[in-house]
Amino acid sequence: MELNTIKDAFDRVAKRQKLSCKSQEVVEQVGHEIEQALAKIETTNDPLSPGDLKSILTELKLKLNTSGPLHQLEGLQKENNTNLSKYPKLLDKAFNPDISKAYRNVDFDFHIVNQIIASHFYRQGLFDLGDCLINEAGEPEDIVIRSHFLEMYQILEALKVKNLEPALKWITANREKLMQTGSSLELKLHRLQFMEIVQKGSKADALKYARTYLAPFASLHMNEFLKLVVCIVWVGKLDSCPHAELMAPTRWEDFTEELTQQFCSLVGQSCHSPLSVAIAAGIEALPTLLKLANVMAAKKQEWLAMKHLPVPLELGKEFQFHSIFVCPVSRDQGSEENPPMLMPCLHVLCKQSIMKLSKSSSRSFKCPYCPSEASAGQCRQLHF
Amino acid sequence: MEIDPLPNGSGSAAATPAETAATTTAPSPASNTTTASKLSQLTESLKLEHQFLRVPFEHYRKTIRANQRTVEKEVSAVISSVTDVADSNELSKADAVLNLTSLVCRLQGLKRKLEEGSRTENLQAQRCRARLDHLESMDAENLSEWNNVRLKRILVDYMLRMSYYDTAVKLAESSNIQDLVDIDVFQEAKKVIDALRNQEVGPALAWCIDNKSRLKKSKSKFEFHLRLQEFIELVRAENHMRAILYARKHLAPWGATYMKELQRVTATLAFRSNTECAKYKVLFEPKQWDFLVDQFKQEFCRLHGMTLEPLLNIYLQAGLSALKTPYCYQDDCTKEDPLSQESFQKLALPLPYSKQHHSKLVCYITKELMDTENPPQVLPNGYVYSTKALKEMAEKNNGKITCPRTGLVCNYSDLVKAYIS
Repeated sequence: MELNTIKDAFDRVAKRQKLSCKSQEVVEQVGHEIEQALAKIETTNDPLSPGDLKSILTELKLKLNTSGPLHQLEGLQKENNTNLSKYPKLLDKAFNPDISKAYRNVDFDFHIVNQIIASHFYRQGLFDLGDCLINEAGEPEDIVIRSHFLEMYQILEALKVKNLEPALKWITANREKLMQTGSSLELKLHRLQFMEIVQKGSKADALKYARTYLAPFASLHMNEFLKLVVCIVWVGKLDSCPHAELMAPTRWEDFTEELTQQFCSLVGQSCHSPLSVAIAAGIEALPTLLKLANVMAAKKQEWLAMKHLPVPLELGKEFQFHSIFVCPVSRDQGSEENPPMLMPCLHVLCKQSIMKLSKSSSRSFKCPYCPSEASAGQCRQLHF
Repeated sequence: MEIDPLPNGSGSAAATPAETAATTTAPSPASNTTTASKLSQLTESLKLEHQFLRVPFEHYRKTIRANQRTVEKEVSAVISSVTDVADSNELSKADAVLNLTSLVCRLQGLKRKLEEGSRTENLQAQRCRARLDHLESMDAENLSEWNNVRLKRILVDYMLRMSYYDTAVKLAESSNIQDLVDIDVFQEAKKVIDALRNQEVGPALAWCIDNKSRLKKSKSKFEFHLRLQEFIELVRAENHMRAILYARKHLAPWGATYMKELQRVTATLAFRSNTECAKYKVLFEPKQWDFLVDQFKQEFCRLHGMTLEPLLNIYLQAGLSALKTPYCYQDDCTKEDPLSQESFQKLALPLPYSKQHHSKLVCYITKELMDTENPPQVLPNGYVYSTKALKEMAEKNNGKITCPRTGLVCNYSDLVKAYIS
């Protein structure tokens, strides 16, 4: 993108700063002329004949009309106006002048949108903003989501100052649910606390902590437990400890991130804001959609009525949430009626394509991708 | 997704040298193309920022024009009064002095105004520059932060258009992005909208006069509709004589272009506000004022070079179309998909499904993409998982695999790789 040319063009417009100085000069000049005339009138000895007065004033009038301050102003403006109208044209050319071209005029229920935004703010820890929006828009408050995230941010705030108390409280309260998901948050929390004690250098404290809090994990996480306890030996000279990874500088951030993820999944929320994800996907998809809308401009009605987009929108990996099978022969998307089938040669086609190729289930046919032959009966349905 | 074709059973030995050569050379062009495509994607996304640059510029241009106009008007007024003074025949000295002094004062006032005007111009030019700089500042390193700011800009835009000014201001201030959003532009709109909500047309009419030439160019009917509404209010108040006078003065000039509408509205003189005739009853309904608000918003956006829809709606719609698949509406949809949420599902209902030309397979266990590096493997029961997940499971359980969806237990050696292109 040629942002530089746009910047240059803007500089040309902004030069008008100088022009506005010039128009100030013109104003000053006019003022000056009038003041001079005034001075002349006042200094001329008293019984000023009407003829003299008249001549001074006529002189002034002529001066103002011939020096043409108005002409000067006009000239300045002309120069200005061309630059002013050039710049938007340049913008139109360099950018997409109307990104709403691909927009389908369907009513987005703004109540839903407001709720989504409020939840987004809560999720970001911006409780003030969320409340402010709810008030201003007069939406009903979503107390459940708000209180979930409020609790989460209390835990995270405490973590920032290395206070593990609220986190521990939450983990203990949800121990069973966390166990079901195979979470090792509790151990990781105690590991963090333990390493803090070890770094402080008191062997007795470390040992005491290990006995009370780490021992219960020994049976399930023997390796981890041994590693931690061994660190006591290196108290005071941790630099040479073989388990340096336990003191990785990012360990607090890592723990915070893991806790955030597990907290969100436990309260039934995604770990990224769905609004951010949807908007980010939109930004990736929109350029292609706009091109499509341009191509289809002539058939606008069709474009608005389409049930499926006619072209694929290539989104990044992070937006891939579902397995989508596309038959390489028919280009149809797999579905329950038309599932993907694995042929004996390990190539995969959809059921309809296989039926078309074989014509009957006993007759064998050649795989479109390799020389081997197969019959429909030999093919197995796949589940992704 | 492209997965390497099945090697011919016999040719595997011969293929090895070629394969190793391919693997050593392949990564660099591949990574080059991904960064190149990433770059072009960034450029494409920058091209969506038309409004971001256009709006402050329109604002700037408006100030410049207004300043020009005042100078021109004042200077020509001063010159013409000098001419008047000079041309008048019976003028005492005192009068002349008085006249000229008042002109000097007037010019001094103009100068002050100009200085103030050029200060505003400067500020607005700075804002235009700040935005250009912001666009330029985007690069691969600060991308996530930049995207974050973009989302906030989009949200502020939405709130301004929806008239949630407090939230808009709060968000802009707390994120320190005042230069990147158009709060002051919307201040002007706020006055008009508030007045219309109170059923006053004054500020709206003043706004129409301010922007007369541009509204005329776009053949806007907004002013006409404001006049019609004022007329309706006079009829509602049974102030018929004034209504007729008003119609003569303010409605008649539009007769040439919008005769039908004009006739319908003036017919209310006969029907009065308590009419049951549907065609005329609707004209007296309070929602007519809401229409005026909407119409004003449209005209306002058009004049300032904004999209008519909030940016949020545009991006959200594009995103939802791109993400929408039949699988989103199934119960086992992953929470990470925005479309697993009821609110997003509702918004996406009228939108089309996305389309794929190539298979995109996501491992049920790790949720990672299955591709050449992490190919899909098939269990004897036809369930497919990624190599990475299955390997990990096998290592933990002495080579045994348990299908998480059916409970089937099998050996890692029973698996076959599926070739999907």
